This record gives sequence, structure tokens and C-alpha cells, in this order.
Amino acid sequence: MSASNNHDTYEYQPGWPVPQLQNFVATVNLDCRIDLAYLSQRARNVEYRPRRFNAVIMRIRDPRTTALIFATGRMVITGAKTEALARLAARKHAYAVQKCGFNPKFRDFAVQNIIGSVNAGFHIRLEGLANRYFTVGAHYMPEIFPGLSFKQYLGSREDGTPRSNPTLLIFTTGKIVITGAKSEEDLRASFARAYPLLLDFRFDSDLKSKAQA
Amino acid sequence: MAASNSFYDLYRHGSLGMTLTDALDELIENNSIAPQLAMKVLTQFDRVVAETLQERVKSRLTFKGSLDTYRFCDEVWTFLIRNVTFKMDGTQGTVVADKVKIVSCSAKRNDDK
Repeated sequence: MSASNNHDTYEYQPGWPVPQLQNFVATVNLDCRIDLAYLSQRARNVEYRPRRFNAVIMRIRDPRTTALIFATGRMVITGAKTEALARLAARKHAYAVQKCGFNPKFRDFAVQNIIGSVNAGFHIRLEGLANRYFTVGAHYMPEIFPGLSFKQYLGSREDGTPRSNPTLLIFTTGKIVITGAKSEEDLRASFARAYPLLLDFRFDSDLKSKAQA
Repeated sequence: MAASNSFYDLYRHGSLGMTLTDALDELIENNSIAPQLAMKVLTQFDRVVAETLQERVKSRLTFKGSLDTYRFCDEVWTFLIRNVTFKMDGTQGTVVADKVKIVSCSAKRNDDK
């Protein structure tokens, strides 16, 4: 099977590295107006610098997360390791807001971004990778940033719903960061799609093929 | 913080400031001095303490503990720290405390930020 030619391969092969989910970013609508000055005085573990940023920054320890709370009642939660933890954290932040005297709801909780990391297991020749795939979303400018960014366009599902287009940040060491996925499925799929393309650019320092490249 | 003054008046709540305030209050009660003079003295105190701490005090106090809560609003930091040990530059011993509350204002006032 020539996986490197078939760009529609989203299937995982056994033995491939598995991306670890590192961070979930989610939003929720508390659906109530919030007086940020009052909240920043009553709640614990908060920061509020209105001239710098118009939101209260609140942190909790379990799950270890940071919430941005806006006067409109919208809230962003970052730092959770799973979707369930993100939801739980959002509820805890909302409860803290409630204890300050407001009347929050919990509307439209949604994961906005999932970040994962994975190790290809071998060093990678980014220059070669960039040369072959720059027309399909690979960007590599070593003077600006040592990582190659490779956007994966996943298209749509069978029922027509669009999928997210996660970006892989690929480094010479073989370590990869995946960001921009709206679902765990999309995150894993973007890696499954890109990984086979990397194999052609494997860089083992003891191989003489390095000299041929 | 201080309304008509360009220095923080928070040092009035320390031991030195409280003693000064007590002494001035006594003098006012005896009619020895006018209340406006007392106010001028306290304002002078605010300035002198701020300047002296900034220019002439070099020793450091360090402390370690667990942060229980923090807050930053209106440019004021409030920390609640548990199980704290304090160490001072010159002295050998340490001071311990179960709970410490620290209220801290910016060293630079809003005019000369």
C-alpha cells in the first residue's frame, strides 16, 4: 500500500505513534451581565486589568484551568486535559461567579480548540518536507521559526458537516504539536494523514543517505 | 490611597505610623497643636518613609510559603500565604507564621508609571 500517495488516508496503522491531548479550549455562555470590578473584588484567585484586557482572569486548581470572564457573561476556559474536565472546570468557574451574587446559566458549552503533541520517533528533514508539500499547506521559514507548520485540510464528513483543519507544527527532532482541531477525531485524523508523508524525510544521523540528500 | 497627597499613606498603619498618630492625637487633645499641623506632619511622614525606604534601606527580607489565594484589582495585589517562614539578610533566625496576608501597591504611582 502506497500511503504516501493517497492523500485521503485518515486511517491509523498499528505501531504508529499516538498523539497525546494536552489542552482543551472551550467557551460557555453564562447568559448574565457581570460587573467585572465587583467580581474581581469578591472572587478569589482573580486578576483584572481593565486598561490592558477587558476581562477577569480566574484560575482554579482542580481541574487546573484558567478562565477569562467577560462582562457580557461569556467565558473562555483553557488548560483542561480532556473535554469532560473542561466542562467540569467551566462549571466550577461558573459556580464561583454564582457565589459572588450573579445568576449564571450554562449555555452552549463548546470545545473550540484541542491541542495535542506526539513524537514521530525519528528526526525529520524539514527542508525536504517543505519542498515537496509547500503547495498543499506546508510552511517552513527557519530564519523566523525553527518549526515547519503543515495545515491539514480534512474536508467534510459523509453527512456533509465540515471538519476542522488542524495544523501540525513539525520540528527537526521529530516532535510534533497539533493545534486547531475541534474534535479529538479530527486531531488524530490530521496526524494519521501527515505521518506517512514524514517517513520519506526520516533523518537518521548514522545513515549515509544523509549525504545523498 | 491618599487623596490629596502624591505618596501612599499606608505606612501610617505600621507601628511607627500608629505611634506617631497617637502622639499627635494627644497633642491635639491638649490643644498643644492645631489639627492642620498634625495633618501636615503625617503628610511629611508619608513622604519621608517612602523616600527613606526607597533610597536608604538595602536589607532584604525573604519568605517562603504556600500561596492560598491571590487577587489583583485596582492595581493592588492581595496575597494569602500559608505556612510561611521569613528570613532576614542580617539576622540568623527565622520567623514562622501560619497565615500571612500581604497587600501590596505598585512602587510607581500612576503619574510616573
